[in-house]
Amino acid sequence: MAETEAHLLVGVNAPDPKPAYRRRRDECPVLRTGEGGSAVISRYEDVLWALRHPEVFSSDSEAVSIGNERPLIPLQIDPPEHVKYRKLLDPVFSRKRMAILEPQVRRLAAERIEAFADRGVCDFHGELAEPLPSTVFLQLLGLPLERLPYFLELKDGIIRPEASATPVSRETTGRKIYALFEEALDARSAEPGEDLLSWMSEEEVDGRKLTREQILDICYLLLLAGLDTVTASLDCFVAYLAQHPERRRMAIERPEMLDGVIEELLRSETPVVTVLRVLKQDVTLSSVELKAGERVALLLGAADSDERSFDDPERVDFGRRPNRHLAFGGGPHRCLGSHLARMELRAVLEEFHARIPEYELAPGVQLQYSPGIRQVSELPLVWSARA
Amino acid sequence: MKVQVLSEVCTGHGRCYMLAPEVFGEDDRGHCQVLAPEVPSEHESQARIGAEACPEQAIEIEE
Repeated sequence: MAETEAHLLVGVNAPDPKPAYRRRRDECPVLRTGEGGSAVISRYEDVLWALRHPEVFSSDSEAVSIGNERPLIPLQIDPPEHVKYRKLLDPVFSRKRMAILEPQVRRLAAERIEAFADRGVCDFHGELAEPLPSTVFLQLLGLPLERLPYFLELKDGIIRPEASATPVSRETTGRKIYALFEEALDARSAEPGEDLLSWMSEEEVDGRKLTREQILDICYLLLLAGLDTVTASLDCFVAYLAQHPERRRMAIERPEMLDGVIEELLRSETPVVTVLRVLKQDVTLSSVELKAGERVALLLGAADSDERSFDDPERVDFGRRPNRHLAFGGGPHRCLGSHLARMELRAVLEEFHARIPEYELAPGVQLQYSPGIRQVSELPLVWSARA
Repeated sequence: MKVQVLSEVCTGHGRCYMLAPEVFGEDDRGHCQVLAPEVPSEHESQARIGAEACPEQAIEIEE
């Protein structure tokens, strides 16, 4: 890579990555990083085009390897096969179905918040943002809640193996994940319940029941896609709201605005920064030729702050119109869990603000955002505790 | 005003029916369903808000 481009690699993981995103969009909208022959695409129109053309920008297992033995379903299956699985799974994660789950999620959130509300201080990430989505997920799948710590260990073993005290390979962790779900499926088939695992065991694709392997390939993806992402979104949102008290008060005083608050924070924070693809055909984007076989990262964060597609994109505007953000991606692989995520974000923000409307970052704390999926693993908050 | 959704383009973001529930509904998969192709005048501005929010630009309006 040319030396003149070195500055383009800086700042993408900063608490405010927008200046770095802007430099990339303006100076090098298709950036070859030299890492693994991959190119990074930054402009909204290019990213959206790539997302909507899986026959060119494929999401198959060549695009990313995360310890799985077979393609993850449905992420690593491209159209036309892909739609069969989405037809099966979309209804289970629809907004209507998530609304049924909402009271239970609120209760879980409220219990966790009550546990620290009188203390005047909390570790927002460790006490709420991390355990809550995982607990919801365990309930949804019908897995025993006491497995939560093991579950978190497996998830982190795949997503950030380098951060573990005793690092093992992704493949080793992957085998443990398959084993965990195998065991759970055995338990459910002996005693079916109202959960997703029991349901999948009865469902059909192409007139045939899902095989054990297909169910495992769906579960593996749900585990990896569904937990860290909501955790990161909660971290990013609350870190922003803690540092912008006037915005926070506005959001609390105008509850009818909450959906707008969530969509704008999804856009402005874009907690899932990149999605990965592999090229199946040669293509030219922003005058740069890309070759079949190249791996490509679509920089959703940069797309969502592109002034070519959003007015005054660095301004956080809870009433923004239109707001066609790509925080959940786009095209056929659009996030399956987006309505679950939105429901969890709404439930946690409302339950948290109902009990703790005024809060700020603990003095002296320097926030660190993890790359790729923007978690803030140290997010201590302080407030005046109730007497 | 007439409104239609290009069902082969919609991927179920759900922004339209969140913002314009009088004009757009959802099918079982969470994809957009137009509630009435002929939009009553009192819902025209809602229809525009819902249509412009679609990241796939799957909604067409004819005025």
